[in-house]
Amino acid sequence: MNPFRAAIAVARKDLVSEWRTREMVPALAQFVVLALLIGNFGFQIDSRNAPSIAPGILWLALVFAGLIAFGRTFAAEREQSSLEAMLMTPASPVAIFAGKAIAASVLLILCEVVMLPALSLFFGTPFSGDLVIAVLLATIGMASLGCLFAAIVARVRARELLLPLLTLPLWIPFIVAGGQAVQSAMGLPGSYDQAIGLLIDFDILFVVLTSLAARFVLDE
Amino acid sequence: MSMVVANGLTHRFGPELALDRVDLVLDTGEHMAVLGDNGAGKTTLLRVLATALRPTSGRLEIAGLDAFRERRRLRHYIGYVAHNPGLYPALSAAENLEFFCDLQDASRSRVAEVLETLGLTSVAHRRASLLSRGMQQRLAIARAILHEPRLLIFDEPDASLDAEAAEVLGLVMKGRTAVIATHDHALANRLCPRTLVLRHGRSLGTATHLRVVR
Amino acid sequence: MNRLEKASVGAVALMLLAGAAIFFYAPTDFLQGPVQRIFYLHVSSAIAAYGCFAVVLLGGAIFLRTENYAADRWARAGALVGVVFTTVTLVMGMLWAKKVWGAFWVWDARLTSTLVLWIIYAGYLLVRRLSEPGRQAARLAAVVGIFGFVDVPVVHFSVTWWVTHHPGPVIINDALPAQMLATFLFTMFCTIVLAAVMITIRYRIETLMDMKQLIAGPVHVVITREPGGVAGPVQ
Repeated sequence: MNPFRAAIAVARKDLVSEWRTREMVPALAQFVVLALLIGNFGFQIDSRNAPSIAPGILWLALVFAGLIAFGRTFAAEREQSSLEAMLMTPASPVAIFAGKAIAASVLLILCEVVMLPALSLFFGTPFSGDLVIAVLLATIGMASLGCLFAAIVARVRARELLLPLLTLPLWIPFIVAGGQAVQSAMGLPGSYDQAIGLLIDFDILFVVLTSLAARFVLDE
Repeated sequence: MSMVVANGLTHRFGPELALDRVDLVLDTGEHMAVLGDNGAGKTTLLRVLATALRPTSGRLEIAGLDAFRERRRLRHYIGYVAHNPGLYPALSAAENLEFFCDLQDASRSRVAEVLETLGLTSVAHRRASLLSRGMQQRLAIARAILHEPRLLIFDEPDASLDAEAAEVLGLVMKGRTAVIATHDHALANRLCPRTLVLRHGRSLGTATHLRVVR
Repeated sequence: MNRLEKASVGAVALMLLAGAAIFFYAPTDFLQGPVQRIFYLHVSSAIAAYGCFAVVLLGGAIFLRTENYAADRWARAGALVGVVFTTVTLVMGMLWAKKVWGAFWVWDARLTSTLVLWIIYAGYLLVRRLSEPGRQAARLAAVVGIFGFVDVPVVHFSVTWWVTHHPGPVIINDALPAQMLATFLFTMFCTIVLAAVMITIRYRIETLMDMKQLIAGPVHVVITREPGGVAGPVQ
């Protein structure tokens, strides 16, 4: 059994489904733009304080968009009762989990493609490669943790309630390091390289841990 | 050789006893129907036999392998159709099957054969969400036989199948061991020489001719 | 009196002794005054909480390996008692902070990571409450417990890193005078005993509840062939 074939098949299946129905990405993109709008009303933003407020709004929007994206990936499989059919095959649960996590991260990245330019447009903050790299690195780790806990709460009552409660505390390290990286990418003091190094460390740690745990979460 | 040897299968959902010490021996090639009212434990028993659910206690051997320890290997031998088809609505019938070929590590050439067997060739490129309930059920059956399983487990396949489809079911079951949960006594009698009657999670025994005592 | 009752009485007596040591034996801190006496129980209950969560980690890991429900019950007991001790730590810490730093809450690394710890294990208890009791719930909770334990040092590290970039209040611990050290070690010992007794009692309660729910571990049944049955030799 080739785990890569299974993982790629699962990711492609999710992305093709999304492409045909176009349910998630437009809704998520609209959601993050709305979040920026709300952020604008919540804070008195002008060109001077934008670099210190914009990163916070970015992370808040991203975190909640991520919760929706990751929650949906497993909730949909549950509703269609197709998760069981997948798990009944000899494909390894880790491969299935990896496929779902990859697809969910691609969807979140697509929504970041809308969010990051919108952020610079609305708040006049600099848009740079550094900013993109920081957000992408945080997305990897957040997606692996988010999908693991989405798979856990898919089997539990009140899953919409529980997913943020379990996931947000585990995302804090990514938000701390990612927030620092984005702030320095926007010109505030702080070490960008150190923050990126931390993000990479956290990514490695949690991708390894979630792959180890996926078996216990998905297997009956 | 026996295909299935089950001993004292018991399953609880919380305090609720869904399956109560069910013993069962199925020979290779044997077809058995599982009858019982709603909530009698049919689905639980089938999920346990399909290794989709681990029972609270009891032992199960399939094809001579311990069903809980060798589960991953056994998956190659088992084809399971749940009550709910579990298809991907946005993918076409053929794409649904191709996806499962990838997961089963089976050749994609099987898709055309299986569609043919189930009489779905004409709707191969229609989205699963646009298929009738009966066709969705057939597609789910097609998915379960992609990998040429030796043991078939069907949870109420008749619920939305038409008369002609019952023929197809017989065709699919030929040469394989099969367990079917059903409400339809006529179908059970026609397809399966043996029946197992469940009530409140307990086996009321198996019989070669069905006579339900109320 | 059964063993658990004796143990409870012993633990309460020890805590009273610790209280006496804190208020009558330990000297008053000349910088902070009497409020510094919070330190003994505050730090002790934090350590006890970590011990409880280590029980959750171990219980969960053992359950995932062996499917032994006793391990899962220890994990459940540890989580509940651990949340209680974390709450005590947080409340006492806030009282102390109000006096010393002038605010109930400051975004200090230790405070923040303790709060995160509390949230994670409160989430663990919620997972247990919201999932159908049984094997699945135990496995899911074990994963949550393991991730929680791994995450706490990571959160602590990242917040410390963040705080050093944003200057904030830092506690400077001088070497403790001998009497203070002795009081602290004694209080810590008593608190850990208390936590252990509480976990044991909770374990007993969980066992009784499981028996009521009739969640038994897998019973291994020896295969007997049906007499005159069709079963052939099984390879």
